[in-house]
Amino acid sequence: MKTHFLFPNQFKKIGWILFVPSLVIGIVLYTNSFNFDDYFKTNVFAILNDELLSKSNYFSIIKNGILDEMILIFIIVGGILVGFSKVKREDELISKIRYESLVWAVYFNFGIMLFSTIFIYGMMYFNVLIMNVFSMLFFFIIRFHYMLYKLQKSIQDEE
Amino acid sequence: MKNNLKVLRAMVNISQGDLADKIQVSRQTINAMEKGKYVPSTVLALKLSRFFEKPVEEIFQLEDED
Repeated sequence: MKTHFLFPNQFKKIGWILFVPSLVIGIVLYTNSFNFDDYFKTNVFAILNDELLSKSNYFSIIKNGILDEMILIFIIVGGILVGFSKVKREDELISKIRYESLVWAVYFNFGIMLFSTIFIYGMMYFNVLIMNVFSMLFFFIIRFHYMLYKLQKSIQDEE
Repeated sequence: MKNNLKVLRAMVNISQGDLADKIQVSRQTINAMEKGKYVPSTVLALKLSRFFEKPVEEIFQLEDED
């Protein structure tokens, strides 16, 4: 079947290898208030950089611990590859399930956003925003694979 | 929409998996169609029609609510 905007099947495995470890490491370190900026200090090019109580710098080279950036990049790239690589036999039913999972994830994610906006305040709301960088992708992947699993199971139950 | 894929499949004695391979879909898709949980695209309906050598209307029929 002709498909648009999907990666070849081989990329799915690479996606899992990037996505799962970096998600686990990221969440564990973040919830333990790990100071990301103390590790892998490197010069980076910043289009925009502002620090608390100082004015913003544009187009400058700054020193930054890049561990948190690396983890986030791995989560996003890995997640994209997991969610948007073709499955072994990609067909129209799988495409439909992918599409419906994506719609579901958008609703679910913005549902959580609405809930958090109304009921969560202070620093915790900032944490919610950070999670929101990849949460929609995360919910999509969970939903998509759960639906694929259910489909697979309905066949096995018949046998 | 209802279909009689299961009957046709029994008549030529082919499994869901083999039929899926023949028309290049997943076995889940054949299964979902037989259960009436999935309405196939025109392309897939025509592929099935070609495989069973029957017109599409003999495989798929509209129901009142369609």
